[in-house]
Amino acid sequence: MVNPLIFVHAILAEIGLFAFLWVLVELLNPTGARIERAKIAAVIGAVCLLTAWLAGGFYYVEVYGSFIKPVIKASEAKWVHSIVMEVKEHVFLFLPILALLIVALLHKFDQEIIKNKDARVSIILLAGLVFLLGFSIAGMGAIISSGYRFALESGLT
Amino acid sequence: MNPKALTRAAAVTIAWIAVATIYSELSSSFKELLASIGGHHWIGKSVLSLVVFGMLYGAFAMFGNDRFSLRDTWWLIATVVLSGLSIVIFYVLHFSLSL
Repeated sequence: MVNPLIFVHAILAEIGLFAFLWVLVELLNPTGARIERAKIAAVIGAVCLLTAWLAGGFYYVEVYGSFIKPVIKASEAKWVHSIVMEVKEHVFLFLPILALLIVALLHKFDQEIIKNKDARVSIILLAGLVFLLGFSIAGMGAIISSGYRFALESGLT
Repeated sequence: MNPKALTRAAAVTIAWIAVATIYSELSSSFKELLASIGGHHWIGKSVLSLVVFGMLYGAFAMFGNDRFSLRDTWWLIATVVLSGLSIVIFYVLHFSLSL
């Protein structure tokens, strides 16, 4: 059975990433109401990513290291841990920083975003970056799950 | 709130995460130091990344100006891309050389 923590981690992270896509869409042609919605979306996104960080971190330290990692490392797919998981766990740390920055920029510039092109384009670029980087990391998560299933099917448990 | 200082602090923090990640694989004493913060090196890096972000923001806000521009964002994006690539290349080489 899949550990519920990994489910919570994945769902919260994906909601968070779509919240930043929502921010991007709202700011493509900003109005007062769209900026207010973007601020709400960014806070939802940041809270989801921070919570996904905690859930994923707890799972990584308490479950993955003891039960999943040894199985993957003992299989032909040990590169899945040594490369993909190592990259995932460290590149993920960029996301909360970027998410907090976007929330802060939206609240700082607020309605000024309509006229301040640098602020608007910056937030759009950063929200797009969070979305793309986040889904690259989600893809790595899928590779790790596949690596674990491969290791189990290889009978190396 | 100083948006320029915050953007610069984010860029340097992300570069710091990449450097700390790579250095912790090369130096067992540094990895142990990170692990001493929260029982695991990843927790140590996680906690320190927020501390570094806050401290750098304070420093940039105190000593820099607050004229935010798109150029700051491009520097941040370049830092994210280069830091991410550095981590990927390092772990590919680290794994390949250990075979």
